[in-house]
Amino acid sequence: MTKEITGRHSRRMSRSEAIEMLEAQAAGPERLFEHPMSQWRLALRRFRERKSGMLGLGIVVFLILVAVFAPLIAPYEPNQVLIGREDVGPREPPCVHILGCDESLPQHILGTDANVRDEFSRVIYGSRVSLSLGFFTVTLALVVGSTIGAIAGYRGGWLDNILMRLMDVILGFPSLLLAIAIVMVLGRGLQNALLAIAVVTMPGYARVMRAQVLAIKESDYVSASQALGASPTRILIRRVIPNAMTPIVVLATLGVATAILEAAGLSFLGLGAQPPTAEWGTMLASERNNVFTSPHLVFFPGLAIMITVLGFNLMGDGLRDALDPSLNK
Amino acid sequence: MKRMRWLALVSVIALVLAACGGDGTGDTTTTAGETTTTAGGTTTSVEPDPDFEGRVLDAGGCDYGGRVEKITALDEFTVEFDLCGPHPAFLAQIAFGVFGIQPEEHLEATGGAPLDNPIGTGPYVLQEWVRGDSVVYQRFDDYYGTVAPHQTAVLRWATESAGRLTELAAGTADGITFPGTEDLEDIEANPDLVLLDKPEPNIFYMGFTNTFAPWDDVRVRQAVALGIDRQRIVDTFYPEGSETASHFTPCVVENGCEGESWYEFDVEAAQQLLADAGLADGFETTIYYRDVTRGYLPTPGDVAADIQAQLQENLNITASIEQMESAEFIQQSSAGNLDGIHLLGWTGDYPHVTNFLDFHFADTNLQFGDPHPEIYEALNEASQLADAAEAAPLYETANNAIKELVPMVPIAHSAAFFAAAADVDGAYAPPWGQVMFNFWDNGTDTLVFYQGNEPISLYCADETDGESLRACAQVVEALYSYTQEGEVQPQLAEECVPNDDLSVWTCSLRQGVLFHDGSTFDANDVVASFTAGLDASSPLHTGNSGVFEYYDYLWNGLINAPESDG
Repeated sequence: MTKEITGRHSRRMSRSEAIEMLEAQAAGPERLFEHPMSQWRLALRRFRERKSGMLGLGIVVFLILVAVFAPLIAPYEPNQVLIGREDVGPREPPCVHILGCDESLPQHILGTDANVRDEFSRVIYGSRVSLSLGFFTVTLALVVGSTIGAIAGYRGGWLDNILMRLMDVILGFPSLLLAIAIVMVLGRGLQNALLAIAVVTMPGYARVMRAQVLAIKESDYVSASQALGASPTRILIRRVIPNAMTPIVVLATLGVATAILEAAGLSFLGLGAQPPTAEWGTMLASERNNVFTSPHLVFFPGLAIMITVLGFNLMGDGLRDALDPSLNK
Repeated sequence: MKRMRWLALVSVIALVLAACGGDGTGDTTTTAGETTTTAGGTTTSVEPDPDFEGRVLDAGGCDYGGRVEKITALDEFTVEFDLCGPHPAFLAQIAFGVFGIQPEEHLEATGGAPLDNPIGTGPYVLQEWVRGDSVVYQRFDDYYGTVAPHQTAVLRWATESAGRLTELAAGTADGITFPGTEDLEDIEANPDLVLLDKPEPNIFYMGFTNTFAPWDDVRVRQAVALGIDRQRIVDTFYPEGSETASHFTPCVVENGCEGESWYEFDVEAAQQLLADAGLADGFETTIYYRDVTRGYLPTPGDVAADIQAQLQENLNITASIEQMESAEFIQQSSAGNLDGIHLLGWTGDYPHVTNFLDFHFADTNLQFGDPHPEIYEALNEASQLADAAEAAPLYETANNAIKELVPMVPIAHSAAFFAAAADVDGAYAPPWGQVMFNFWDNGTDTLVFYQGNEPISLYCADETDGESLRACAQVVEALYSYTQEGEVQPQLAEECVPNDDLSVWTCSLRQGVLFHDGSTFDANDVVASFTAGLDASSPLHTGNSGVFEYYDYLWNGLINAPESDG
């Protein structure tokens, strides 16, 4: 190996390749010969063993499929008003022909809403909004929060103090109230709700990442990298962050559920998705006055939210158990 | 000995008077030591005060453009209103709750802003306003009219109609305003509840402010007028008994429906008008509304969503919906600051066509942008005429101009309802004015009534919302009021008599009436209360916002109003 680095006739290794090689040596013989995927395979095996986690995964995959194929599943456009097109009125109860509903009546398996739109189609299309909002929010919060936490933890000192106190300030507010305040400043709408939720959830990622970095940066292989002259940025990106990602992944999975709930909450308050967007929180809000007279219009969007949140939570729990078996002991 | 005989005589007379005083359900008015019984209560004898100095509110002429030239306290119990022209709707107008009378001394002591401590002559004394929760009243035992059967009345609020109905159904409320359209059938089917028909003349409309593009182009406004299926809105979202508006003013109001009926739904003509305006591909705008249930708009969010859908579908106009906080919405729409379509309505305050048309289309109203002289000139002229038949052609002109210029699109005249517990005696919902709790008897010491929102303030000279007016009406009374059937009746005045051309109204006041602070009601209180509302230069002209909107519009402008910048 030394020969390969220094030999005259072989390709000359770049400095980074050399450092990586030396870091691998410093990490010990096990690291050198370890299969890079084996840890994940182990985790996957553990995950499969957890039925609740698999159920959560199944729900999430199902919801993703529903969202992707919504135009094929939904019988109507989500905003299509059926007045004058069908003999149907506002807030009609569900009508399913095979369950005994009169064949002469148009079939709306979840009924119609106050504006005479097909409720089933709106619930189906609502999955697109909720899932994409959950994923984008968590991605944004994860990237920004983790970066802040990693820098704060690795750099330490005054920068750590400033960044983490900033995070503490954000954490000091009840998350939904802060999200409401941010949306009020930025203006109502789905995009601003996404930003607001990302901001209020970001400190969680920052704190977890910082804690991980503080532990990992004392590791021998990090010290070895430093001794070999690797730059702090390189050490952070190549050595520290990848090894700190396990709890972040778990947090993100659970965070999707939280983000979907908070987005629904903002929409319920009229601050998130705006009419006529088919979003579950908005649909709940618009029919909150009719819990007793048209319960189906509150029940089904609520059920959709519940199933989605349940799916992500079960999957997150399963992932946590799989990635960090020590928590199970 | 002679003194003893006098005392005995006085005692006997007093006993006889007490015996003849009735059961407290009739009014007894005593003037200068003489007792007479009228419709409603008991008052004590009042000797004329020889040192009485009457207040005067003098506009110094009529050049300022308003309706009031002078209001004079001629003596302790006589007030004269000298107007700048005939005012046939004078009695109906002064019966409106914003013209309530408070003690001169109290107005002075509060700097013209008794926002949360009104003192009146009404059936209830304000005990406490628990912000965010309730307004609590105590029965005024010295009330000259129908004394409340319960000791305490509590006014609470719940924005959601379902919330109000839940309270009613649970027995924690005795009455509620405006149940949701979707709940009407359930209320009728519930033997424990009563649905109260509230035959209030109202109008729901979608307004445009013509100082913002593209609403500055009359063709665009006409296109929306033609391109919205109003019948669909009424059929889908309004309770039975509602009707699509043919005119801005309901036809039950005299002269309200003179002139041509509104446009029929015609998508092709609407699209052609938009094309003529260079907007064949549509445009983007905003629909502003407040999520507050009113008789004229029982389901605001649903109607807004349907209008949004119709604009997109029929006219390719992409509208976003913006729900605003109620007070902010009223303020911004009234000032003409909303650049899109605003969904608003109006419930009649008094039974005269001026209450609908003059408020909205007067030259001082900026709600729809620059006022249209084609409309307000006819209205100004008509409002001077006592004879309704004589005024009819002018209202025809005004209504036709409204149709032609489309400052707004009238959508619906809605049927409206209150609801009450079935065991409440005397529950009612008046067409005009406010429901008075002292006529409701639930057989207990406390009556609880729910409305949609919290009052903005309890000084209603400077408020416009129904929630504030309902809260004020229990405490503060005006010179006239409305019966439960909507007829105008004397209240603090015994009568107001006009001269031949209806330009001078002389009001004889009810004597011996006590305010809740124990002071006696007299003519100076009337002049002071009107001064606080009408005279912009008065130190009493403070109020809540200081706008005194109703005074401004109903009297055609404030006295000594500051010059506007514009």
